[in-house]
Parts: sequence; C-alpha cells; structure tokens
Amino acid sequence: MIDQAVMAVVMATSGDSAPIWLLAAGPAGAVATYWSLYRYYRNNDKSHAFERDTLIKAQPVEGSEEKVDHISRTRDSDIDGDNSEDHRERVERLG
Amino acid sequence: MTQEADGDAQGQPQQDRDPDAPVFDGPPLSLEEELAAARAEPEAGPAIDTLNESLADGVNRCPKCGSTDVRLRGSTGQLVCLFCRHEWQEARVEEELGLGVGIDDLEGTVVAGGAATISGDDVMTLTCGGCGASVVVDTAHALNARCHWCRHTLNVNERTSNGAVPDAVLPFKLTHTEAVERIREFASKRRLFALGRFKKEFIPENVLGVYLPYLVIDARAEAAYVGKGEVQTRRWTEKVGDNSTTYYAADVYRVDRSVSFTVDDLTIEGAAGRAKFDARTTNNIINTVLPFDTKNAVKWNSSYLVGFTSEKRDLDVGALQPVLESQLLSIGRSQVHESLGKFDRGVRWEGEQIDVGGSRWIAMYLPVWLYSYYQEDTEMLHYIAVNARTGETMGSVPVAQWKLITAALTVGTFLEGIAGAILVATA
Repeated sequence: MIDQAVMAVVMATSGDSAPIWLLAAGPAGAVATYWSLYRYYRNNDKSHAFERDTLIKAQPVEGSEEKVDHISRTRDSDIDGDNSEDHRERVERLG
Repeated sequence: MTQEADGDAQGQPQQDRDPDAPVFDGPPLSLEEELAAARAEPEAGPAIDTLNESLADGVNRCPKCGSTDVRLRGSTGQLVCLFCRHEWQEARVEEELGLGVGIDDLEGTVVAGGAATISGDDVMTLTCGGCGASVVVDTAHALNARCHWCRHTLNVNERTSNGAVPDAVLPFKLTHTEAVERIREFASKRRLFALGRFKKEFIPENVLGVYLPYLVIDARAEAAYVGKGEVQTRRWTEKVGDNSTTYYAADVYRVDRSVSFTVDDLTIEGAAGRAKFDARTTNNIINTVLPFDTKNAVKWNSSYLVGFTSEKRDLDVGALQPVLESQLLSIGRSQVHESLGKFDRGVRWEGEQIDVGGSRWIAMYLPVWLYSYYQEDTEMLHYIAVNARTGETMGSVPVAQWKLITAALTVGTFLEGIAGAILVATA
C-alpha cells in the first residue's frame, strides 16, 4: 500500500528530479499530528455555534457594490485579510 | 430659545396669541376616563414581573399532603413529593410571560425581575413556617435549607437582590446514571494519549449536577457592514526558465450589506467566572454544550434545585450589552455571507455597525452535569460537561505531552523517510 503511494509520487515526478520541498513533509506531518491529537483531547477550539443554533428570523439582505479599482497583475490568489467567514472577528465599529 | 426665535427659525409667520386663552388639547374625555386617569398608578418600568406568587420564602408544602420533602424527579421533569408521591410542575414561562411573541415589536431594553441589577447581601435569614426557628441560608451556594429543629425543607422563592433567584429554571432531564455513561464514553475514546494520573483518578460517578446562570435574550437588530471584495477577471501562467508562476487580475469592489433580523432565546453566560474564554480556562467546554431547549423553562421554584448545586449570577445586563452586540454582529455577518458569492477572491470587512432596536432579558438556571479534574502541574481545571436536557457532551482531557510528542515524531520520521526515498529515486 505504502509502496504503491511512493510509486505514485515517483511516477508523478518522473522525468524530472523531485522537488526539494518534499523534505518539509516530515516536520509538517509531525506538527499536524501533534495539533490534531491535542485538539481531539482538549477541544480548546470548540464553542457554541450561536450563529447557527439560535432561532433567527432575517429579512432579505440589502446592499450594493461599486467597482473602485482594478488589480492588473498579482501573485495572490485571494484578497488580503479575507474575513468573510470569520464571523466573530470584530472590525472597526461605525456610528 | 424664545418662542419668537422659534417661529423665525421655522420661517413661519408669528401670530399674536392671548396668553390667558385656554389651550386646545383635543376633545374632552368622559367623566369615567378622567377619573380613571386621576386614579391611575404611575406607569411601571419596562420590567417583566416573573415572581411566582403562589410561593413564599420558607416552608412550601406539597399541594396534596402538606409535606415539604419535595424534589425534582429527573425521569419525568416534574416535582415529586417524597411523602405521598404526588407529582406536579410549574407553568412554562414561554406561555406564562408571552416570551415567544412580540420580538418584532421590542423597543428598548426590557429586563425581567430576575435579571435586575445585582446588589445586596448573599446571606438571608428565613423563619421556619413549621416551628418558627430562624435559619440562615447563604444564597450564593444554596437556595434550600433544612430547618435544624423540625427538619422541614425551607425554600428561597422570592426575589433576592443578589442575583441568586432567576426568572425561570429548566429542570434536569438526564439522570446521574445517564450522565456518568456519557462522560465515561467520552473519556474512553481519549485514553491512549491521556495523562496517566487522570486515567488513574478518573471517577465519573463524582459528576455534579449544577444549575448554571444564563441570560436568555430575545432581540431585534439591524446590522450593516462595509468592506472590499475582489472578483477575478483573469488568470495566467508565466514561465521563466524552469520556473512557472501563476498571476491573477481582479476587479476591486466596495461592498456594503445590511440585514434586519430577530433572535429568539440567544443564551449568554451570567457568571463572570464562566464568561471568561481564554487559554487558561476550559470554560469553552461548558459553552459548547449550549443550546438548551429554553422554551421548556418553567417558573421559578427552588424545589427544582434540591439535590443539585447552583451558581449565582454575578453579571448585570449592562455589563453584558457588549457581548450581546458582538454576538448580534456575528449573526448578521453569517446572514449576509450567502450574498457574497460573486466575490470569488473573497471579501474583507473593514467596518460594521449594529443597531439593537429592542431586547428582552430573562435570567434562567440551566442544568449541566459537570465532571471536573484539576491538573496540578499546569494549574488547569478540566471539565467534561453534559447538557442535562439534550445530552450533548464535550470535554477537555489532559494529555501526556511526551506521548503526543513521541507520536508526532514517529509520524514525522515516517513521512520524512518516504520523502527521502522519493528524492533518492528521482535524483
């Protein structure tokens, strides 16, 4: 099974030497193992999902968008500081 | 400002008026209405009166036989008289106080009697209705006491100013045995890397039934957000020698969204010690077993607490307003999230605003089975908590660090070996 996985990676990188970043697999795997086990035991990342589990009645969302700029060339695949899914991260209070 | 200046400011012509002439204030009222208005009491504040008028402090007897040995029967959720086995229950506050309705019309901050500002002493002296003895109760820790002379059970049922008596209580449903089973099952899945001493000292039968203080809030709010969103317009790859790099082009938009919504029974911790969520506590564990079926909460009767412990509320509505606003902002953000599909490169919110049109606060005791373990070397209190209504279980099990590090190093070494083999094979 493991031999097959190794062969698959070898085949995928065949014809060229394998990228050097493969050496990071060991440390990355060790850190991921530590944190996933720690979180499973300590559950220090858990909390009540009140955004989902509360009875909420919402009116239709209103709003607008206006084009203000254009980025013609960037290596970033997404916007800087994307917080659209971090509902509990507070930003500047207006008004 | 004078009347003349007022008139000028509004650009209206001034009219001379006889200052002695009667002012017209609408058609005259009937005599009955005038009398009723004259006799009317001053308008009450916006508070909701949740006092259980059928009960007083001291001896509360079984309605059938008169015994005071009354406690909760977990399997039925009803109060049971231990003398004659008669069972009954208090009315649900949802219907009794009309809590499920009128959220759309809430104005201002409406605070129920049990959630009022905390002041006063924890120690109360009750006079036993059976024999007349004076019995002292420390309401910070107990709301029932035995009369040391005649053995009657005495109850604190009337409103105290120290936050110990809430508006409503949600009775325990899960029994001690069921809670022990759930805690044992939770911990048994986490044995391999658990601290050796924890495993040795693990006695789930020591779990305690605790009524924890919460504020249950209905609110009407409008949230608004402004930020930037990006839409990808092009993606291409450039090759320089052996290296290839991907580039993107995007349009940047200014995005604003607003949403009006109501929340029903949002539940917030009412004890400062439990409301603190940081890396030094495991309070998040108790927070995670929320929500409760708060619609089934009943009017306060301290007999529900017999055999359980309770924690006193020590946070006022004023202190919790920022917590409510933060949670409403989070709810609003989750509501507007679906409208952002167009922005495939994401959205960065930069400003937000919440306008709480009205809120209604009810103080409630909610039931939790709590197993605690104090880890001496890190001075941390670990909880395993069971929601005593829904059975939801969450916990923090102390880990043996050396075991975790050994496992991590083993996995790391194995992966590194594979990576090395690949590099050698393709060199």
